[in-house]
Amino acid sequence: MSRIIDTGLEELSVMLCRMGELTYETVSLSIKGCLNGTSVYSQVHEMSDALISMSDQAEDKTFELIARFQPVASDLRTIKSYMKIAYDFARYSRYALDISYINEQLGGLKECEEWITEYIEKMSEKVLNMVRTSIDALRSHSAQLAKTIAKTEEEVDKMYFEYLDKLIKKAPATSKCTISSVLVVRYLERIADHATYICESVIYLATGEKTTLR
Amino acid sequence: MSYKIEIQSLSAWFGSKQVLQDITMKIKENLVTAIIGPSGCGKTTLIRCLNRMHELTPRAKVTGRVLLDGEDIYSENVDPVTVRRRIGMVFQKPNPFPMMSIYDNTAAGLKLNGVADKHRLDGIVEKSLRAAHLWDEVKLELGKSGASLSGGQQQRLCIARALAIEPEVILMDEPTSALDPTAAAKIEQLIRILAENYTVVIVTHNMQQAARVSDFTAFLYLGKLVEYGLTKDIFENPKSELTEKYITGEFG
Ligand SMILES: Nc1ncnc2c1ncn2[C@@H]1O[C@H](COP(=O)(O)OP(=O)(O)OP(=O)(O)O)[C@@H](O)[C@H]1O
Ligand SMILES: [Mg+2]
Repeated sequence: MSRIIDTGLEELSVMLCRMGELTYETVSLSIKGCLNGTSVYSQVHEMSDALISMSDQAEDKTFELIARFQPVASDLRTIKSYMKIAYDFARYSRYALDISYINEQLGGLKECEEWITEYIEKMSEKVLNMVRTSIDALRSHSAQLAKTIAKTEEEVDKMYFEYLDKLIKKAPATSKCTISSVLVVRYLERIADHATYICESVIYLATGEKTTLR
Repeated sequence: MSYKIEIQSLSAWFGSKQVLQDITMKIKENLVTAIIGPSGCGKTTLIRCLNRMHELTPRAKVTGRVLLDGEDIYSENVDPVTVRRRIGMVFQKPNPFPMMSIYDNTAAGLKLNGVADKHRLDGIVEKSLRAAHLWDEVKLELGKSGASLSGGQQQRLCIARALAIEPEVILMDEPTSALDPTAAAKIEQLIRILAENYTVVIVTHNMQQAARVSDFTAFLYLGKLVEYGLTKDIFENPKSELTEKYITGEFG
């Protein structure tokens, strides 16, 4: 016989993995839209709304598990981590929405020089990989996989500051591009941060170890 | 999901002392409903009214209706023995018949109901012991006395005995209060599994147990139903201040 709490933990885990997949789609769609200059705002908006309500549901479920099952040890760590991760996922989708809003409102990166779009594309690939790693680490509760994110996190951070430096030295032709690209890069950097937080939560739930990967 | 039992304006007395006052609640099929409340509030009396055991106490009285699948178990043409067959009961203290073997304990109710065919009995005994998750522990010594088992095993034997007569509803009155935490956890897991096929009503002193095993919770106080709802809601966000006080340990 399995423990009574296991059913609830399993339900929550399925909920989070589903959220994870949807956040990945949302983030990648918004970046693609911004790079291609296609309007994806309303689509991303819908996905983001769905994610926020999923995040609320997940939070409700964690509350129920705490109220009903008096979780301790690894169960308690798992629940605490799941609650934080649900929030991190909601943040992913929020930044995705912000990115697609830039495209909508400021025309995105259409007016940018090629080196800029190439730079942002490269950075976004790294960030999407981080999002993927965070979801996979969560699904498998793998601390080992979670730890690998530290390296990419550092690279993304570096790219962020490097980009600002580059702009100072050589301003883009239009201020539309300047503002859009800086915001996009900034949001990408924030998404990377949340991917890293998720990996830290995975390490905590799997091992009890409180680490920082930043 | 339909209702298995509907309690309508149920009141109960011991002599002139009224111990249940106008209880109305519906119990859903194939789910676990817990009844909680301080000692003496009427929990045991309430479930004993659900299978017509209350009236076995001298000078006890019941008014109101209890519908089982829509039919009042208190109506004149209903035989209380039939009701008790459809609504089984498991008690606080494991009470296997001490002089009987594990096999005979499990089959006791069936034999009383006139089942004599050995082959058929064998089948039901095994099925019931399996359903009570006791089979693997006792299958090699079914002839041993029921009293030789541990407390937790004895309680599962009593559950098997109740299941053997194929009831539709199982009432449990503090089924784990005489057990250690590990044996109690096993019974709790078993209750969740039983709910897949039976309607379970459990009385418990242990609020955490109610939170863990039940889908719905009823809070009884001084013979009145104070609050009844989804267990999740009762323990996260009770509507009544009395319920809040009771479950947070402010009284009782
Ligand atoms: N046989 C009896 N004769 C007279 N009064 C009784 C009898 N059994 C119970 N009572 C009274 O009826 C009231 C309800 O009792 P009941 O046993 O239903 O309470 P309970 O909620 O199950 O309590 P506990 O948690 O202690 O088991 C109590 O006041 C009790 O004293
Ligand atoms: Mg009692």
